[in-house]
Amino acid sequence: MTLPLLRSRIRASISNASLQAALDGNALRRVSGRDAAFESLPDWRERRKRAHAVRADVIEHLDEYVDQFIANAARNDVIVHRAQDAATAVSIILQIAQSSAPPGRQALIAKSKSMVSEEIELNNALERRGIKVVETDLGEYIVQLRGEKPAHLITPAVHLRRFEVGQLFHDKLGLPYTEDIPTLTAAARRLLRDVFLTADVGISGVNFGVAETGTVVTVTNEGNGRMCTTLPPAHIALMGMERLVPSLQDLALMLSLLPRSATGQKLTVYTQLINSPRRPGEVDGARERHLVLVDNGRSRLRSSPLKEALYCIRCGACLNVCPVFREIGGHAYVGSDGSIAPYPGPIGSIVSPGLLGLQQFGHLAQASSLCGACKDACPVDIDLPRLLTRVRAGGSEGTSSERGVGLSHLSRFGLHLYGIIGSSPRLFTISQFFGGLATRILSTSSDWFRIPALTGWGYSKDFPRVASKSFRQRFQPSEPLPEAQPAPPAISPPPAAVQENALPLVEKFTREAEALGVVVRRVAAAHLSETLINDLKQAGAAEAMAWDPIEGLDRSRLTAAGIALTGEPDPLLKVGITGAAAGIAETGTLLITSGPGRPLTASLLPDVHIAVLPASLILGSLEEALSRPDIPAASASVLITGPSRTADIEMALTIGVHGPKQVVIYIVE
Amino acid sequence: MRNVQLFVTCLVDTFFPEVGLSMVAVLRRLGAAVDFPRDQTCCGQPPFNAGLRADARKIAEHTIRTFEGAAGEVVIPSGSCAHMIRHNYAELFAGDAIWLPRAQSLAARTYEFTEYLVDVLHVSDVGAHWDGALTYHPTCHLHRGLGIDRQPRLLLDNVHGAEVRALPEAQDCCGFGGIFSVEHPELSAEMLMRKIGNLESTGSPTLVVCDAGCLMHLQGGLRRQKLPQQVVHIAQVLDHRYGAR
Repeated sequence: MTLPLLRSRIRASISNASLQAALDGNALRRVSGRDAAFESLPDWRERRKRAHAVRADVIEHLDEYVDQFIANAARNDVIVHRAQDAATAVSIILQIAQSSAPPGRQALIAKSKSMVSEEIELNNALERRGIKVVETDLGEYIVQLRGEKPAHLITPAVHLRRFEVGQLFHDKLGLPYTEDIPTLTAAARRLLRDVFLTADVGISGVNFGVAETGTVVTVTNEGNGRMCTTLPPAHIALMGMERLVPSLQDLALMLSLLPRSATGQKLTVYTQLINSPRRPGEVDGARERHLVLVDNGRSRLRSSPLKEALYCIRCGACLNVCPVFREIGGHAYVGSDGSIAPYPGPIGSIVSPGLLGLQQFGHLAQASSLCGACKDACPVDIDLPRLLTRVRAGGSEGTSSERGVGLSHLSRFGLHLYGIIGSSPRLFTISQFFGGLATRILSTSSDWFRIPALTGWGYSKDFPRVASKSFRQRFQPSEPLPEAQPAPPAISPPPAAVQENALPLVEKFTREAEALGVVVRRVAAAHLSETLINDLKQAGAAEAMAWDPIEGLDRSRLTAAGIALTGEPDPLLKVGITGAAAGIAETGTLLITSGPGRPLTASLLPDVHIAVLPASLILGSLEEALSRPDIPAASASVLITGPSRTADIEMALTIGVHGPKQVVIYIVE
Repeated sequence: MRNVQLFVTCLVDTFFPEVGLSMVAVLRRLGAAVDFPRDQTCCGQPPFNAGLRADARKIAEHTIRTFEGAAGEVVIPSGSCAHMIRHNYAELFAGDAIWLPRAQSLAARTYEFTEYLVDVLHVSDVGAHWDGALTYHPTCHLHRGLGIDRQPRLLLDNVHGAEVRALPEAQDCCGFGGIFSVEHPELSAEMLMRKIGNLESTGSPTLVVCDAGCLMHLQGGLRRQKLPQQVVHIAQVLDHRYGAR
């Protein structure tokens, strides 16, 4: 008997020591990171309930929200496309790529992470037409070089260890072999920088769409997402149609949960809110923005018992806590034809069959002990174990009573038989008798005995003998002797909620930003220019890209001191100086909105980003920041939380991937 | 006097009758009248979890009928089976005007054993005695599915003479998962080894659980590896008196 493909993949994964070490590392670090991050959100349980309600409302009224979102995006001059299925989505993107190509050659595409692009197998389709697509997320770049699919929703190279990445970069890129993660990261930064600067089209995924404003939101750490949406002339945002929230306030709620669940961060380094293409007077930002809204089975899923799976915000927390994922990684979730499911892990075992068919992926739902760790970890409270049992019962193709999707014939037969025995006390008792007889013949002396591995159970466990006298034979229905009841226990009071230290906003902001590696300098308004000039001179910077004007800063004093300032994007400049629309104390975040004189690239291309932040602009929370009227008004905004970073290789935190390696904030008091 | 209808579960009835007997002894010692409806079989969880809902329904309907004729609270020595009745019956009979209300009324008077002792009988110390170390493994459907964790720990903390040692990675699944342990033996085995490794690290000779399925799985794994540790059901610990062994 040959093992089903899934089981042979499982065996291969379990016996791969390097993979096991990588997956153990992921589980341990992600789970503890997530736990620590939620400590800073004392009301997370209540938020999780609200988030569930928001997502339930969106999916319930999806048609209305999609219409509202599309109307607002179109009003913002975004070109909106709707794709019923994967083939349509691919052909729309192909057309945009071809019309964006310069004369005489195919378009070059810089791509940031998008799980929908995996679902519709976009890269293959583009490459077949001779269009070069370069994945720019470090993890995605690695798996693309290896010709693999991502092994995790948010950590694509979770299955690899540093020596494998070192070997890969040596083989494919001709770099000297190294296992030093910062060196490997720096190599990717250097190579991909050229791609960003020369790409004709940038493709990005979408974490959320905001219906009330038509805003596209992306959440990234490395900066490649900003590059792909800011530098190439055309930007395509590829989005599953279910990824909507009604309002910016709902977005704030989701953003308090997504990064904590995904990577254990209070906020990811770059949260972009994109409204429109570049506007007159602006020097950067894509000139043309397309939005491709993909259905590809979502409408069908929505009217099925698996509807709740559409609430998912793709944080990957359920993968990190899953004891099965921890053993096998993302590549072992294979369909009946051997192809790897686009969405792995617990949520993937619902979404993959839900979108792409039970025939192909339904059996994945049996690869779960229904332990419920996934449900516990889900930031939007999806009842994953329940949905897994629904997939097993027929899922999106109707819970026909006889399904048992993915069961072996033997298990199916045994359980049918058990259905008959278990509903008849007489048959049940008779079976106990014969079971007792049989197991005592198989094992004459011991209560536990060995059964063959092919039974499944016998692979790692002995089996118990049926009791010689069952409980029902031994139970004595006698009346009890009354006995004094022990006193009720003293109920200990619940532990007091941890009081968040109510620091003044500037202190709180400083503490949070410094924890992320940001250099914070607090200066009096009168000394800002002088301090900045001294710092720049000490760092040997004679030129910088700078906003014009910057609130609180006298640019003419910098120029007079011999520091050349330019407003044009220049990849050679090492320093960018910006202002900020606001600071957010709870996360140490800068809010930057684009506009004339406020290029986005000043906080993206240079190695060092210097921001001038008047203390009066520091707000308490993300909710307050997202209620500012300039967010829906600007062509794009970005929330910056620390320097560019990645943990894509062995979960080792590495600073300075594609965006600035250093962030310096001058708080002006 | 409280009237308890015992739903002893198919596994305890068939493989571990001593667990049921201990449970009866503890309940009677606390003054409850314990009855055992003789027609009972199983809650229907094995086919339900496998996705065979028609088979599950047949068994579940039988269970509902059996306990409808028995007044009092239904008490179960298994978090998993209590979870099946409390949460999955509503799923199984969703939209069924006849059976859903009947299922719900059974669910409303169904309790897991430790939950019943602590939350209904308000007992925290049953007067049990145990010599030596104990380690508690919170089974998945008990602590995640039903939210019952404080109760068994409270009861164990009050066992005289016992030293309760914390189990590392206690909340991780032992790898049983019903049909999962048969359909995916390799995965089940890995999870089992991890759990056994964590048990060994405590040095405790005894692991306590509140589920016969997990007990069978863990004990089967220990026997296969010829390890000396014992897995016991919490009822057996609570039934243990001074001087007994």
